[in-house]
Amino acid sequence: MDRRSFLWNWGGGLGGIALAQMLGQESLLADAPPKPPAALNGGIHHRAKAKRVIQLFMSGAASQCDTFDYKPRLISEAGKPFQPGEKVELFQSNPGVVMPSPWGWKQYGQSGKWVSDLFPHTAQCVDEMAFIHSLRSKSNIHGPATFMQNTGFILPGFPSAGSWLSYALGTLNDNLPVFVVLPDPRGFPPNGPGNWTAGFLPASHQATTIRVGSPNPIYDLEPPASARFITKASELDGLALLEKINRAHTAGREGDSRLDARIASYEMAARLQLSAPEVLNIDGESEATRKLYGLDQEITADLGRRCLVARRLIERGVRFVQVWSGADNGFPRRNWDSHENLAKDHGELGTALDRPVAALLKDLQARGLLDDTIVHWSTEFGRMPCSQGSKGRDHNPFGFTTWLAGGGFKGGVSYGATDEWSYKAVEKPVYCYDVHATMLHLLGIDHHKLSYRNNGIDRRLTDVHGELLPEVLG
Amino acid sequence: MTLVLSAFTLMAQPVSYTRDVQPLLQSKCVACHQAANRSGGLSLSSLAGLKTGGAHGPAIRPGAVTENPLLAYITGDPPRMPKAGAPLTPDQVGVIRRWLEQGAQDDSSGATDETWWSLRALRRPPVPALGNGARTVVDAFVQAKLKQNQLTPSPEADRRTLIRRLYFDLHGLPPSPEEVSAFVQDRSPTAYDALVDRLLASPRYGERWARHWLDIVHYGDSHGYDKDKPRPNSWPYRDYVISALNADKPYARFVREQIAGDVLYPDDARAMEATGFLAAGPWDFVGHQELKEGTTDKNLTRVLDRDDMVTTTVSTFVSMTAHCARCHNHKFDPIPQAEYYNLQAVFAGVDRADRPYDEDPTTNRRRRDLLRQKQAAQLRLQPYLDKVEFVSSPELVELDNRIQDAGLLIVHLGEPKNAAQAAEKKQLEERRIADRARRQTVVDALVGAETYSTIARLKQDVEAVDRQLAQLPAPKLIYSGANFFTRAGAFRPSLQPRPVHLLERGSITSPGPLAVPGALSAVPGLPGTFTLPEASDEGVRRAALANWIADDANVLTWRSIVNRVWHYHFGTGLVDTPSDFGRMGSAPSHPELLDYLAVWFRDDAHGSLKQLHRLLVTSATYRQASGNVEAAAKLDSDNRLLWRMNRGRLDAEALRDTVLSIAGQLDLTMGGPAVRMFAFKDDHSPIYDYARFDPDAPGAHRRSIYRFIVRSVPDPFMERLDCPDPSIQTPKRTTTLTAIQALAMLNNPFMVRMSEHLAARVQPAGKTVAEQVSAAVRLVLNRPPTATEAELYSTYAGQHGLVNLCRLLLNTNEFLFID
Repeated sequence: MDRRSFLWNWGGGLGGIALAQMLGQESLLADAPPKPPAALNGGIHHRAKAKRVIQLFMSGAASQCDTFDYKPRLISEAGKPFQPGEKVELFQSNPGVVMPSPWGWKQYGQSGKWVSDLFPHTAQCVDEMAFIHSLRSKSNIHGPATFMQNTGFILPGFPSAGSWLSYALGTLNDNLPVFVVLPDPRGFPPNGPGNWTAGFLPASHQATTIRVGSPNPIYDLEPPASARFITKASELDGLALLEKINRAHTAGREGDSRLDARIASYEMAARLQLSAPEVLNIDGESEATRKLYGLDQEITADLGRRCLVARRLIERGVRFVQVWSGADNGFPRRNWDSHENLAKDHGELGTALDRPVAALLKDLQARGLLDDTIVHWSTEFGRMPCSQGSKGRDHNPFGFTTWLAGGGFKGGVSYGATDEWSYKAVEKPVYCYDVHATMLHLLGIDHHKLSYRNNGIDRRLTDVHGELLPEVLG
Repeated sequence: MTLVLSAFTLMAQPVSYTRDVQPLLQSKCVACHQAANRSGGLSLSSLAGLKTGGAHGPAIRPGAVTENPLLAYITGDPPRMPKAGAPLTPDQVGVIRRWLEQGAQDDSSGATDETWWSLRALRRPPVPALGNGARTVVDAFVQAKLKQNQLTPSPEADRRTLIRRLYFDLHGLPPSPEEVSAFVQDRSPTAYDALVDRLLASPRYGERWARHWLDIVHYGDSHGYDKDKPRPNSWPYRDYVISALNADKPYARFVREQIAGDVLYPDDARAMEATGFLAAGPWDFVGHQELKEGTTDKNLTRVLDRDDMVTTTVSTFVSMTAHCARCHNHKFDPIPQAEYYNLQAVFAGVDRADRPYDEDPTTNRRRRDLLRQKQAAQLRLQPYLDKVEFVSSPELVELDNRIQDAGLLIVHLGEPKNAAQAAEKKQLEERRIADRARRQTVVDALVGAETYSTIARLKQDVEAVDRQLAQLPAPKLIYSGANFFTRAGAFRPSLQPRPVHLLERGSITSPGPLAVPGALSAVPGLPGTFTLPEASDEGVRRAALANWIADDANVLTWRSIVNRVWHYHFGTGLVDTPSDFGRMGSAPSHPELLDYLAVWFRDDAHGSLKQLHRLLVTSATYRQASGNVEAAAKLDSDNRLLWRMNRGRLDAEALRDTVLSIAGQLDLTMGGPAVRMFAFKDDHSPIYDYARFDPDAPGAHRRSIYRFIVRSVPDPFMERLDCPDPSIQTPKRTTTLTAIQALAMLNNPFMVRMSEHLAARVQPAGKTVAEQVSAAVRLVLNRPPTATEAELYSTYAGQHGLVNLCRLLLNTNEFLFID
């Protein structure tokens, strides 16, 4: 067995084991750990089209009717009472009047997709993007709904999609973590790191949080600066001695793979110490690239840097990178939860996002990475087409938009639809289960078969649901 | 190769006859061995056929690893069977082998077959004869099974290993070098037993084992979800668990107190603290406190909150997965959907909130009476308050929108930055004041003066009680299950149990029949329904469930707890799914031993956990060496039959406490509010910052059990050592060994700082580096260094300093793994 599969195993989870369970091969007596056949291209149940995922998460709920879900009726009936023909039950407020988007709309690309003027750069890429307009959420509260989009459940403690992928597919590299999260520097989203927990999966599938731009981006990557007694030489000699001592300790304890795995984990740690600073250092990126990502402007610099780092991470074999736009729902507003003044708050967040996301898509495409990398733009629910107060919008769990690009998704398509108000999903309504099922499908995973027994139930990312959405597959 | 096997085993699920074995036999064997075509007189189409066998006797011997004719026939080179077609692959053989090892359990059909093992009557099985080297009844069962499988127990571990094993197991802390040498030199035959008694008598025992219990009940010091606020009054429950274990509270009482201590032992402050169990899990602040009464999401929030109480109670105490019956009848175990909702009805009166109580029984009784009066008065008053709160008209809706709009805009403006903003804010505030006044006028007109006069009259009753309450000394508070508490936002007490309906497909919008408080009918000899004197009293409901669980006749309760205790001592439970004794769980490796222990614990030990610990840790089985025996590993690589002791890895808390202890920094202060080992800033979602915390801050050296456990933002150091997410129940921790964990062990400020403390501690121990190194090794590993080690370590310490050596020692495998 090569070292990678060995570490993978002692990481606890193990594509190897997941695979064996799924194939019903529970035996321990095989002569080699089961390995996915090369024909599956990295998939475990069928041939994979995608190998990696970059998820962009709009914390606080990004509006569909101010971005990608164009409804002329909101313009023609602006200011009239919102009467969709049924009682409207909202999170905080009574329904106000019909409120058109503060942004104009234009058509883009071959597909003629309508996109609001909030995202003029992203709009250039519509022909690469598959829009799903009929998403619904099972909760209209940020906490549970954010859990749902990340883990498939509205309760805390379930593994996030990134952890599931780590469990299912394992690593593509020897030097970096499998699952990386790049939080908004303004703070964590609602639920905090609970959104990217490994839940009941072994802790080896937990995300590694990288605080891009901070002086100490990964917890404990290096000793504290104050510990001057730790030098390059002391580390080199110390790790060599540690290995020697640990090897000697295994005598008489053969058969306990944990002891060897732990020895190997220190070698991997040393490699991570070398590779992490390299991947985070964007000095070598060209001026054109830096400009493309918006590093030259203050408002786009943060997301630009994080999107660029996301590309560098997946380039080096990180499986799942989650990039957060927005922190918690506090004041002053620092996420998409625009109850009070949507034009201002969505305006700032959207502008910060637009160029970097467009850059990410174009850059991935130029490097040939978009073919097997899924880019997923997501949020916990949408916003109401009517006003809250005079300038804001309340939560809308009944119909909202997500888009996916690359990795086998079909470009320039729009799946499902909300009603003429952008209020409720009426055509082909779906939940995140269906999106997750489709993503897993492209990654070579049958979502029914990716399970882990917890407290008496074989749990899945898709719970007991999930239908493939063939119309968005390329 | 063996490496893969153990890793695999760790993760592997139990083999199922129906799912795994039967289809294999069907495809490979049944064509020639079936009822209609009995080659060799053998039918392999049913489990009965396997047991009955054919011309050469039974085809299988459940539980035995060898001497199973079926295995003999399908293995070998080439195998004798199948005669036609390809031989079974090693994987397929492995499935059958493991199924046999696991006792050849039959899960072929729920209804017609004999009762599932965990639901069978509990009887004391006969004890096998004590063999050589056996010390307790535990050994009789274990060794009989070893013998049956041609295995022999390992010799006793050396004294140093034994004392370390006992310390880490019972205290989660290391022995001091002096304690080790005293024990090693004590040749008295009672030395070991005396050590066990001493460790069990120490308060460190309760602190260690309380951590296990808190894993199971998913205790935390914050709510979880969005706006993860601190829970300042949850810690008395943590202290209750520690003191109950230290006092060796009989288990039945321990159970009753946690579910209904306030009802069953109303004058006992400890029993009140015990009910913190009900509220141990997460709580959705926004769903409860910010959503309007009567909305779908509010109702869903409550259903899920009760679901957590049901799930926690049932899986903790009786190891069943009742929560699997929320959307439909349980698919594998005999739990109808209706019974799940009957369990929800038990908790229909409680929310998670602070409850007042008093140490002094007289005051406590007085407060209870007054609160009962106040609750009754509030119940009379509430309908009139609701009338005012929920009155509506088109004008009111319009006013509410305007008032809210002003509120939103004021909040969004924040502190005005210029004159224009200040003017805008002032104007909005004035508008809001006018709108609120107008609103009041409209409401008054709609509800009428009579309502107000009734409210005023009924409020006097409430206030009269409040005046009397104010005269009592300030109460203590426990975060618990409560049906009466001070309203906060939209979070208001139920006052009386809320109606619970069976939900079709678990959907909040499809309510079915009304549920009645009850438990599980599948437990033999114990009615699953309750006869309640006053069903409207929520406390009576919980008391009934508490008594049902703690009943001597509840076979699940007694099996569950002895298995949990076994699990923590040996690393693997007799049943390897400690919270699932249903068909999706594992079968017991030693079913007779499990039943013996359950009966013994209930009847002979009268629920004394300390007696149970003593019985287990004084066994020869526990005292075995943990080293490898290749021949045995070939037969039973998982060590399910216990031919050696399992080697354990220090868990996150034990590791942290041990490092503190070795560094000479451990602060043994017990109890009280949780220690915040992070920088804290309250906010919309509070900020818990572990990076900005000094490892030497006041309180930072206390035992990990006293850590403030944040649900949404776990301590990264602890998380990397597999400390579980307190949002979910953890009956069994996983162990991982990752690069990121290695980095935490090397570089976390806590580890680095403690290395410095350790070095400072051993510095005075000798004049030479060699003497100091020796002292450090004795502290970290409880043994002197070997000659080679002494030389290597001294050289390293000489070159790079003693602190670096101490840091290295704390990263050795010998330190992290306990033989």
